[in-house]
Amino acid sequence: MHATPTPSSSSVACTVNGRPVALEVAPQTLLLDALRDQLGLKGAKRSCDIQVCGACTVLVDGAPVSACTYLAVEAGSREIQTVEGLADGETLHALQEAFLEHGAIQCGFCTSGMLLTAAALLEEDPAPTRERILHYLRGNLCRCTGYQKIIDAIAACAKPAPSPHSLPHRGGR
Amino acid sequence: MSPVEPLRVVGHSVRRLDALEMVTGRARYVTDMELPGMLHAKLLRSPYPHAKILRVDVTRARAAAGVRAVVTSADLDWCDPYFGPAFRDRPILAIDVARYEGEPVAAVVAETEGAAAAALELIEIAYEELPAVTTPEEALAPGAPLVHTSEPPAGHFADLSTLKPKPGTNICHQFHLERGHGAGAFAEADIVVEDVYRFPRVQHYSMEPHAALAIWDPDGTLTVWASTQNPYSVRVELAKMFRLPLSRIRIIVPLLGGGFGGKTYAKLEPIVGALARIAGRPVRLALSVAEAFRTVRRCNARARVRLGFKRDGTLWAAECHADFDVGAYADIGPRIIQKGTYTATGPYRVPHVVLHANAVYTNTTPGGAFRGFGVPQLAWALESLVDEAARDLGHDPVDLRRQNLLARGEEFAPRDTPIDGKFEESLNRTAEAIRWTEAPAADRGRGLAMMMKASVAPTVSEAIVRLHADASVTVLASTVEMGQGARTVMAQIAAEVLAVPVDRVSVAMPDTAITPYDQTTSSSRSTTMTGRAVQEAATDVREQLLRIAGRRLGVSTSALGVEDASVVAAGERLPYPELLQERFGMGGGELIGRGIVAPGRSTAPLGGSTPFWEMAVGAAEVSVDEETGAVLVHSYVSVADVGRCINPQQCEGQDEGAVMQGIGHTLLEEMVYEQGQLLNANLVDYRVPRAEDVPAELRCHFVENGDGAGPFGAKGAGEGSLVPVSPAVGNALARLTGVRFRELPLTPERVWHALRQRRITRSHSSAAGSGFRAPGGA
Amino acid sequence: MLRPFVLDRPATLGEVADLLTAHREDAVLYAGGTELLLLMKEGLVCPGHLIDVKTVPDLDAITAEDGVLTIGATVRHRGVERSALVQERCPLVAGVARHVANVRVRTVGTVGGNLAFADPHSDLATLFLSLDGTLMLWSRRGAREVSLADFIRGPYETAREEDEVLTAIRLRRWPAGTASAYLKFGVYERPTLGVTVACRPAATGRPSALSVTVGCVGPRPQRLLEVERQGAGESAAALVARAEELGAAAAREIEAIADRHGSVEYKRALTGVCVRRALQVAAARAQGQDIHARYAHTVIV
Repeated sequence: MHATPTPSSSSVACTVNGRPVALEVAPQTLLLDALRDQLGLKGAKRSCDIQVCGACTVLVDGAPVSACTYLAVEAGSREIQTVEGLADGETLHALQEAFLEHGAIQCGFCTSGMLLTAAALLEEDPAPTRERILHYLRGNLCRCTGYQKIIDAIAACAKPAPSPHSLPHRGGR
Repeated sequence: MSPVEPLRVVGHSVRRLDALEMVTGRARYVTDMELPGMLHAKLLRSPYPHAKILRVDVTRARAAAGVRAVVTSADLDWCDPYFGPAFRDRPILAIDVARYEGEPVAAVVAETEGAAAAALELIEIAYEELPAVTTPEEALAPGAPLVHTSEPPAGHFADLSTLKPKPGTNICHQFHLERGHGAGAFAEADIVVEDVYRFPRVQHYSMEPHAALAIWDPDGTLTVWASTQNPYSVRVELAKMFRLPLSRIRIIVPLLGGGFGGKTYAKLEPIVGALARIAGRPVRLALSVAEAFRTVRRCNARARVRLGFKRDGTLWAAECHADFDVGAYADIGPRIIQKGTYTATGPYRVPHVVLHANAVYTNTTPGGAFRGFGVPQLAWALESLVDEAARDLGHDPVDLRRQNLLARGEEFAPRDTPIDGKFEESLNRTAEAIRWTEAPAADRGRGLAMMMKASVAPTVSEAIVRLHADASVTVLASTVEMGQGARTVMAQIAAEVLAVPVDRVSVAMPDTAITPYDQTTSSSRSTTMTGRAVQEAATDVREQLLRIAGRRLGVSTSALGVEDASVVAAGERLPYPELLQERFGMGGGELIGRGIVAPGRSTAPLGGSTPFWEMAVGAAEVSVDEETGAVLVHSYVSVADVGRCINPQQCEGQDEGAVMQGIGHTLLEEMVYEQGQLLNANLVDYRVPRAEDVPAELRCHFVENGDGAGPFGAKGAGEGSLVPVSPAVGNALARLTGVRFRELPLTPERVWHALRQRRITRSHSSAAGSGFRAPGGA
Repeated sequence: MLRPFVLDRPATLGEVADLLTAHREDAVLYAGGTELLLLMKEGLVCPGHLIDVKTVPDLDAITAEDGVLTIGATVRHRGVERSALVQERCPLVAGVARHVANVRVRTVGTVGGNLAFADPHSDLATLFLSLDGTLMLWSRRGAREVSLADFIRGPYETAREEDEVLTAIRLRRWPAGTASAYLKFGVYERPTLGVTVACRPAATGRPSALSVTVGCVGPRPQRLLEVERQGAGESAAALVARAEELGAAAAREIEAIADRHGSVEYKRALTGVCVRRALQVAAARAQGQDIHARYAHTVIV
């Protein structure tokens, strides 16, 4: 039984922002371009193109991925979330509200990546420390804001601190 | 408007008009736009820093699948292929010679980006390498190869009509300014300090690289959607190049994903305009980050500064000789050297001054405007040297600065605007915030620095305000939104003047066919100049409303005010829609107001009097891990004298961003060239600040004395807070380690090496006590 | 953007091998793509075929047996970070995985891909060397196990033959009572220096052991045998006392190459400092303390 090579164009079934979608892609199509060009979801941006800046971040099965360096065919059977899927209809996600409230947006180019990364962080860790936020955001650059208000906005969405009696988290050894 | 009345909207941290679209992914930038039939362009760039172009063969590329055009300079004889605001020295595509590694030499236009990229590889070019100069020293050496062998014509700015190139050299402009007895005054000084400082090549890294989309109408009108900070400047360039009247060129600017000066003056628009014309279809060009690094950068500089003080601390004489490397094309380099050198002596009083700067061509990425515009390069030198002088004098560095600060109302330079701020207040607030008079912890050092900068003059900003029949408002102004919140500020100003809710004010997208002339979104001028134009235009509309109401009520307009979208008088309230109905006799029509702010030329040294002085102070508390050389900034305080924050949260955000960009060039960023090749035009090898680099304590404060020439007493902001970062950190390190750094960035290895030199020198030295001055440095 | 290619999705290792043989230099193995796709964007490699090894079952398992932790080649960094088994058996490995690159690379990038790419600035190679890592390579000619030291030949150069597939990495856990630390230093995107120290202090009837590996500063990660020899037999307290001296020995022993991260001179000095610091942390842990050291631009796991 030989492996079936992918033909020059194929249909990739996945879910994007909760909706089933069939992407028509070639093997070399990057997820970023499929989302932007085929689905018109322009929120994810191309900036550094080498996985450093985070402007292209989308969530794949809840985990942040550099869509600029991720083949669209890999999205098959997966759930993709873009910034356009963060809000629930007209109701903004708490992070979106917090970004607005804290003035955490200037030119807006990094914003979608920041929001999705922060959303993934809060799913994983609803009460992250500032240090954890900084570690998680290592791969999300911003050239305008100086980060302060972005960090404040994310911290504002963290659940209240645990009780003083809970054990501190010990780092790996 | 009475300054005593409380402000409703101005001075409040109103949410950005465009923030909602940004958090929901609906904000649109040039690369999000498509037009029917749009083609994609890619550029082929010179692999050599300096080379003759012997032969170009595009036959195979032209025949490739999906390709609609392949263009070289030979295909551009139907237009004037040169552009540039100071010198029109930059060709759309290289003509006979490539002057820097990365210069565009050919272009492909194709149905898809992939087809265009593939076709680039089919273009065959034969080059003959020429000797290149890649540092100012090399470029200035006698007999150095010339980057430009003929003198290009002057560009389009009045203040640069007196360009002074030095023929037969790589110097394309010189700036010289003397005051008092010049260099002779140093003989009267009690102490003299002198040193040489270097500022590196750094890049803006706007997260959105340059992009433009052009389309020609059948009637011969060219429309370009451009990621540009000055649509009107671009329009002038294109009109000249394509030999069209200004009215036939339309530049539209959606949102910019960052600018910082890197998107001022024509960059991509000429090539995209030309390609769209040749292809006969709309063409979009979007650069990669690597290409952005080969389009524009900050001018690196080498400055020799000499300061003479009297023993009592009076600054007596200053001399600065600076060489700015403007790269292969002048761009706005000549104005940068003028603007930077003009305030080379900072916000201090100094009677005897000799200032000289050269703009030097090298075979590297063209240098252009970048936040600070020549001032960071020289403030790095001056503010470091002031601290050295303070130490030699035995004076506290803050006291020494305070003693010599220019006072409000004092003259900075003959016939220029007098100082418009109480700078001492900013200095004192900064010193207090960083706890200057308390000793820091043993492993910490504190340093402080100041800056001052003039804004561009002469300058023009115009605005139109339209009051609609339902009392909503549209503001037409060509200030570009690149993250600074300018469009929101314009809405706040109009809303304040007209007493309407700010969410009933729309600000039109900058479009030269619709929004009137604004010189540029740069030079920290938008709130002050364009804001004033908007204020005037809104005031014009308010006056019209008052006149209509006055006639209706039979009272003088001086008895009337505005409130809640109504004209009010004792006991009377006339909503605007009613007044318009009255005016027009129907439920339609609108009132149109106009504002023009144009201070004009003056006989001040730069050809115009600055509309305001931008002044900021910064202080840093740092530590250094001597064993690795890693420097940490634990605390940073910035105080900027802004007259009035129209939107405090936006001001704070801007200054926080400015400080972090400053930390970038202070500790992390440097474009690395080796034999004319740019080695690190990517985000792995070029390190910009991340969230974890933010100081644990970062505070940005503002002095608001309402003493600016802008609306409600505002002055410019946005550049000032970047400038003091490097000298504040350098001064903090000097106070902590005794080592003076003269070159940036302060990478771990550079710091480690300098500290080691100090230890080696000290261990060998037999001198001790106050007379010893560590020669170590970097 | 990427030039067109065929994406092959084999169902077995045999099919992978057949594809490699059929297409030779025109085929590359593809897992996470976090390194490969960047090379392809730059035009440095232009394969006509990408052979997806993620579709081969059982390359993504993590198992532990008799002191050996086996990580399948297509396990993502994120998988290593979160694996309860790794956290239990080799917590340092989970801890270091947490600090590789950024969260997006950890989601997609694989352990096998990382090692096969052999970027000299690699945390994993440095760490795995100290765990006597071996790589399982499979081809139609048979399977073989190669030590990490032999596998990584130099920058971006490995001992993998053209027809071989990396299937797993095997790590030998340190014996009970070993205290360890991983320290990495760097300002840039990739680490400038990484050091693993593992020490098991002497106890009655049991000699002490010390392992020191340093990576990122030279062409390959390096086990500092001379430093280990000098520190052998010492108690934890003695290691702390001699940390400076052992660090200096490390600076002398390390092979460093100059690059944008620094000159040879600087890297040697850095090695000395970081080895000393890592030793101090590991030795303190061996005494049941954690000194919670913090240094600028330094991560200590």
